[in-house]
Amino acid sequence: MSHAATAATRSASATPTPPAARGIKRFREARIAWIFLAPFMLAFLLFLVWPILHGFYLSFTDQSLTGAGGGFVGGTNYAEALGDATMWRSLANTALFTLLSTVPLVAIALVMALLVDTGLPGQWLWRLSFFMPYLLASTVISQIWVWIFNPSVGAANELLRSIGLEPIAWLQNENTNLTAIVIATVWWTIGFNFLLYLAALQNIPSHQYEAAELDGAGKLRQIFSITLPQLGPTTVVVLTLQILASLKLFDQAYQMMGGISSDTTRSIIQYIYEAGFVGYRFGYSAAISYVFFAVIIIVGILQAVLLRQRKAEQ
Amino acid sequence: MLTTHINRRRFLSAAAALAGAGMLGGCAATPATDERTLQFWHLLSGGDGVTMAGLIDQVNAAHSGFEAKQTVLAWGAPYYTKLAMAGAGGRAPEVAIMHASRVPGYVPGGLLDPWDKDLLASYGVGEAQYSTPVWDKSHLGGELYSVALDAHPFIMLYNKELCAEAGVLDGNGRLQQATSPDEFLALGRELSGVSEGHGISYGYLGGGSQMWRLFYTLYCQQGATMELPQGGPAQIDEDAAVTALRFMQQLLDGEIAAAQNDEDNAIAEFATGQSAILFTGVWELPTMQEQGIDVGAATLPTIYSQPAVYADSHSFVLPRQLDPDPELREMTYAFVADLLTRSTEWAAAGHIPAYLPVTESEEYAQLEPQADYADAANHLVYDPPAWFTGSGSNFQNNFGQAVQGALMTGSDPTPAVQAVKRDLDAILAKPNPTDPEGEWSA
Amino acid sequence: MSTSIETPQPVSIDGGAARPVTGHRVVRTSRMAGKKRFSGLRLAAFVALAVMALGWLLPFLWAVATAFKTETDAASGGLNWIGASGITTQAFESILSQGNIWVWAFNSLWTSVAITVITVFISAFAAYAFSRLDFRGRRWLFVVVLASIVIPPQVLIIPLFYQMLAFNLVDTHWGLILPQVVMPAMVFILKKFFDAVPIELEDAARVDGASRFRIFWSVVMPLSRPILGAVSIFVFINAWNNFLWPFIVINDTLLMTLPVGLQTVISAYGVQYAQIMAQAVLASLPLIVVFLLFQRQIVKGVATTGFGGQ
Repeated sequence: MSHAATAATRSASATPTPPAARGIKRFREARIAWIFLAPFMLAFLLFLVWPILHGFYLSFTDQSLTGAGGGFVGGTNYAEALGDATMWRSLANTALFTLLSTVPLVAIALVMALLVDTGLPGQWLWRLSFFMPYLLASTVISQIWVWIFNPSVGAANELLRSIGLEPIAWLQNENTNLTAIVIATVWWTIGFNFLLYLAALQNIPSHQYEAAELDGAGKLRQIFSITLPQLGPTTVVVLTLQILASLKLFDQAYQMMGGISSDTTRSIIQYIYEAGFVGYRFGYSAAISYVFFAVIIIVGILQAVLLRQRKAEQ
Repeated sequence: MLTTHINRRRFLSAAAALAGAGMLGGCAATPATDERTLQFWHLLSGGDGVTMAGLIDQVNAAHSGFEAKQTVLAWGAPYYTKLAMAGAGGRAPEVAIMHASRVPGYVPGGLLDPWDKDLLASYGVGEAQYSTPVWDKSHLGGELYSVALDAHPFIMLYNKELCAEAGVLDGNGRLQQATSPDEFLALGRELSGVSEGHGISYGYLGGGSQMWRLFYTLYCQQGATMELPQGGPAQIDEDAAVTALRFMQQLLDGEIAAAQNDEDNAIAEFATGQSAILFTGVWELPTMQEQGIDVGAATLPTIYSQPAVYADSHSFVLPRQLDPDPELREMTYAFVADLLTRSTEWAAAGHIPAYLPVTESEEYAQLEPQADYADAANHLVYDPPAWFTGSGSNFQNNFGQAVQGALMTGSDPTPAVQAVKRDLDAILAKPNPTDPEGEWSA
Repeated sequence: MSTSIETPQPVSIDGGAARPVTGHRVVRTSRMAGKKRFSGLRLAAFVALAVMALGWLLPFLWAVATAFKTETDAASGGLNWIGASGITTQAFESILSQGNIWVWAFNSLWTSVAITVITVFISAFAAYAFSRLDFRGRRWLFVVVLASIVIPPQVLIIPLFYQMLAFNLVDTHWGLILPQVVMPAMVFILKKFFDAVPIELEDAARVDGASRFRIFWSVVMPLSRPILGAVSIFVFINAWNNFLWPFIVINDTLLMTLPVGLQTVISAYGVQYAQIMAQAVLASLPLIVVFLLFQRQIVKGVATTGFGGQ
């Protein structure tokens, strides 16, 4: 967010105004500004700021979905959360998913973008193939993959059988269900990263390649000496976005498991949902939300620090 | 093949209301006709869904004032979560089906409205039409909260051809009833000899309900009880629990039953004639009959000291509505009462009807093989009552997670039982979120 | 963070090599043209690309193939693309005749359009104020809005649901729409764009005595069409596919959106894979068609907003 500051400093005072008129102008302009801001700020306060504050308050109560409770219970929800094995397990699942999904989602996307950027014929088809799944709703991709992973007649197991391997109960087996969800996720969301990489690749000035070509560097050589280094900053962005997206795992994991809460696939968002809406415990659920929120902020700060270090090194 | 159908006219009127008036809020657009729509939610799919759809059509045809419209939601936690949220939101459907075991988790929070017993009696539904245990189980705090449709025990379906081949049928062509664990295992081995697949199809992977159903049957057959008092600790007979799990491990030896199988696959295995016995709920009976299998049904045999069989009941409840329409409420009573009188067909779907005029009828006595397990009704065991237990609850799910590993690997089940108890103690120690003041727990 | 992100203009990412649109692309095309002679590397790249693309298309094609099978063929497994009983549209017919999918598609379409329109307008107005208007507290207010980008909306489901209960908006489309219109990232992206619009263009209008609103409406907004389009596409795709919040706030099956309806309501006739796949295929069609029609704009829009969100 380094550009935020630079953008904000750009002043609106375009034409020089005599000092006396400036005060009136400022006042009028402020009034107009608030009119412009009002709709957004109203929604912002109502649907973002207020829920944050109210959720924080709820996390100190025993409020129930049914409307019962609501009394102040101090920090007991937080104390319980920190000692709740299920919450830690859910966080660990989320972290594992983030790790397992981020690596292929970034690496394969990069390969895809490099290949497409070579300008091979059929560009629209490549982009359609890789990006189309991203346009599908999570429910749709879940249904497709549940069908593929069907233990008895799914295509995945038919493939395994056809090459002489034992079929796997992909989503029913605790050792494979998270992997199955990772596979579906990579297929589903890679298009987004692919597009970001493709955009970045097409912004690399071509004179750099021409110069390299004159020096006699081959195609592969060019990729390693020009393309990849230039993609560094993009990779940081893609990685950041991907980690934040993966941490928010819920839809496909919940749907592919058919709403079943499994110890190996339950993400932290799913635990927030379950604690609140399945277990009725709004207060406790709110407390877990804030624990997760803290995790997100820590990840954000870590990334910012790493970024700064990188920048300093360069 | 109209399931959860929204017919064209209704859709168009809803769309027109939306587009025309630009109105969004709760656009349960009233159809242009004078028939009121009764929203009816349930979680019955497969054969049950077909039967229920047929019953609803009959009731609709017999009444002119209303048209009940069913919505089928995914079974288990998703259904119950949606039902609770609809109740909390105050715009719930007029009537819904709930498992009797789930009702205690919904009443204290005010998610259900009680039935008006006098009004119900005027439609011919009251204490006289129910067995005392069922009628009592429908009450909480002196109010009637659920009207039972059936009891559905966990049973065995068996393939008569294969069983005859293995020579395990008695003189009447019924499956011999094992009287000890070893006898039952021996039976299973004989059956696996004549089956292409396994002797017994028992799919347990996935949600915990399949594991819980068999486990709790075996547990209670040993005379053990389970009590979950608010505040804890959970009263569990650990020895009986370990014994039950050990027996289950013996079944899952890869010969008698597949070591790792899920419910759908087990059903498919039996349906395609590759196994002789299926451990399942009564609701799979029609599916198997349709598959052309000569199918018999039996209660799980009493292999320990006393008969017991896991069961639950589908029952009608009134989800809380902020502003119930009196006319619709009254129609709901008419709908439920009429549906109960037609529940012979529900019995055809495998269930044991709860409405006595039906079970005592000549028609019911002649249903085969339903009559063969009607006796199960005398020793049904339901989930131990607590706000978090019941069909499709996280309780069953958590139980499954705790014991699944032991069942898959055959390792010592004792740690799994201890883990179950530990989890239960932890939940019981926390306040009941539907009733934090403890008004109902007495 | 990087050169490409700092540019407020939509990231240029246009069509294939065959379409020399910008000067930039012309140069690149000629770079390729120089290498046009048969090259082993090029062939390898093509094969790799074809294999990957096929791999990425297969799952969806498999869903389509299943949707055109009879239920019996679908349930009997195997890897054949056409079932033993041939191709049938039975699954589609029964899905369409049930009507649910029409209602859900309509709900999805109208709520997504509403979310998109409201989000784009309120964000554009706010972004303009942050970019061009002078008022006390502008800076810290912008920082607050900017900081809120990191908040995952998923952690707010409990208080938001509680709030909707209080406003009596549970089970209404407004309850579904309103919490989704707050997208601080969009304000940020639009502000960056407005910052780069030459102020002289506005000055000319101001000399003519136009009001701020007029300037914004008839000078700035028309200039911003590309970025508004990009933002709209991004918001619309997100709204169309959003699951968690609509899933929580809507219980009435008649009010559900497509993703929520598909997940929640099932067939009373048990698991019918051909029908489920037919539903999935039908539910994906609208966005796939839109993508085929507006591929370049969507690709551009997603790339722009994707980077801008950071």
